Amino acid sequence: MSHRLPSPLPLFDRNLLRIVEKVVPREEREEWSRAWKAELWHMHHCGSHRRTSIAGITADFSIGLTRDALWLRTDSWRRAFSGTAIVCLAPLFGLLLLSTLMALALNGSWHLLGMYLRDPFERFLLEAPLVFVTFTAASRRHIEQSSASRMMCWIKRQVFFTSKTSLTSLLAFMLSVDICWPIHAHFPIIAELFQTLFFVIFTLIGLRWVFWDQEQRCKHCLRSLAMPARVGRPSHNLLEWNGTELICKHGHGLLSVPEMETSWCQSSQWIDQIDAWGETAGV
Amino acid sequence: MSNPRLSHSAALILKALSLGYCFGFDVMEVTGLPSGTVYPALRRLERDGFVESKWEPEKEAVANQRPARRYYEVTREGRAAALAATERYPLLARLVPEKHS
Repeated sequence: MSHRLPSPLPLFDRNLLRIVEKVVPREEREEWSRAWKAELWHMHHCGSHRRTSIAGITADFSIGLTRDALWLRTDSWRRAFSGTAIVCLAPLFGLLLLSTLMALALNGSWHLLGMYLRDPFERFLLEAPLVFVTFTAASRRHIEQSSASRMMCWIKRQVFFTSKTSLTSLLAFMLSVDICWPIHAHFPIIAELFQTLFFVIFTLIGLRWVFWDQEQRCKHCLRSLAMPARVGRPSHNLLEWNGTELICKHGHGLLSVPEMETSWCQSSQWIDQIDAWGETAGV
Repeated sequence: MSNPRLSHSAALILKALSLGYCFGFDVMEVTGLPSGTVYPALRRLERDGFVESKWEPEKEAVANQRPARRYYEVTREGRAAALAATERYPLLARLVPEKHS
């Protein structure tokens, strides 16, 4: 639908709108353009700004419409990426890069860094699987699935989990190496001991977060689950289920986390809702 | 909704809207804030449910020989937030005069 202005806008305004509207997400572009054309028209014809220069007002509005367009773009990115796997992995990768650069700065060159890291990295290759296996055996909570999981979703989940675990372990390793660098020159054996100790502690903390984060994600789209709601009454524990329910904002499913592990409700349960939606649509 | 905490600019804009200034340009003029602050703040307030935006009826605008504008209305949550903001920033009420239509 076209909305004509009673009189055309100046050439500068029209060109600016044409350029900046490319920044606005496609689905919001038409409305944004219409709103700004109207605002600019009113600025030129109805404002009480005559006491200030028109150039100043035009510059102010140019900044305003550009910031408005940028806000819409960043907000659409926020909505698109909020809680996704990428948003989880990117900061981990960034921190890993930062800790590597710190180690590089402390050692002075890539060659010296390589020499410094050789022995600790060999230990890391042995220690990391041991810590992982021990932690997994000791604390992994099983999640029951209400329906057969799709193969692609399962692969996606495993790839994400592996990437997250690897990045967390490497980050723990680099942090432990950075922390122990100052004492390494004077007390190499103590430094190695402390490095191993710090690595194990950081990895255990990291793995705890990795498993918690994995549990709190949708099994289909891997987005963080939202809107936790308490269900049931703790005082009626013997009579009914009580715990917390979280949902996927995209309607893929629901996770029920029991407050207490009982003989009849030992683990969290993922309830798939995709099939239910399909059946509803079929009806 | 929990008690929302607004920035001074957002509170000023919300106050202006609650006093009857409905359009972005009007809000700019009465608050003296630059457009780069007013328009993104209006978007944020709308996203947070403090204001609602609607288009002016086309017929009304055509009759007045001007294009239809997007106007903003304060919601119930917005009114509560404006009240809380006035308590938090007592000078706010003096900064924006009531609109005389």
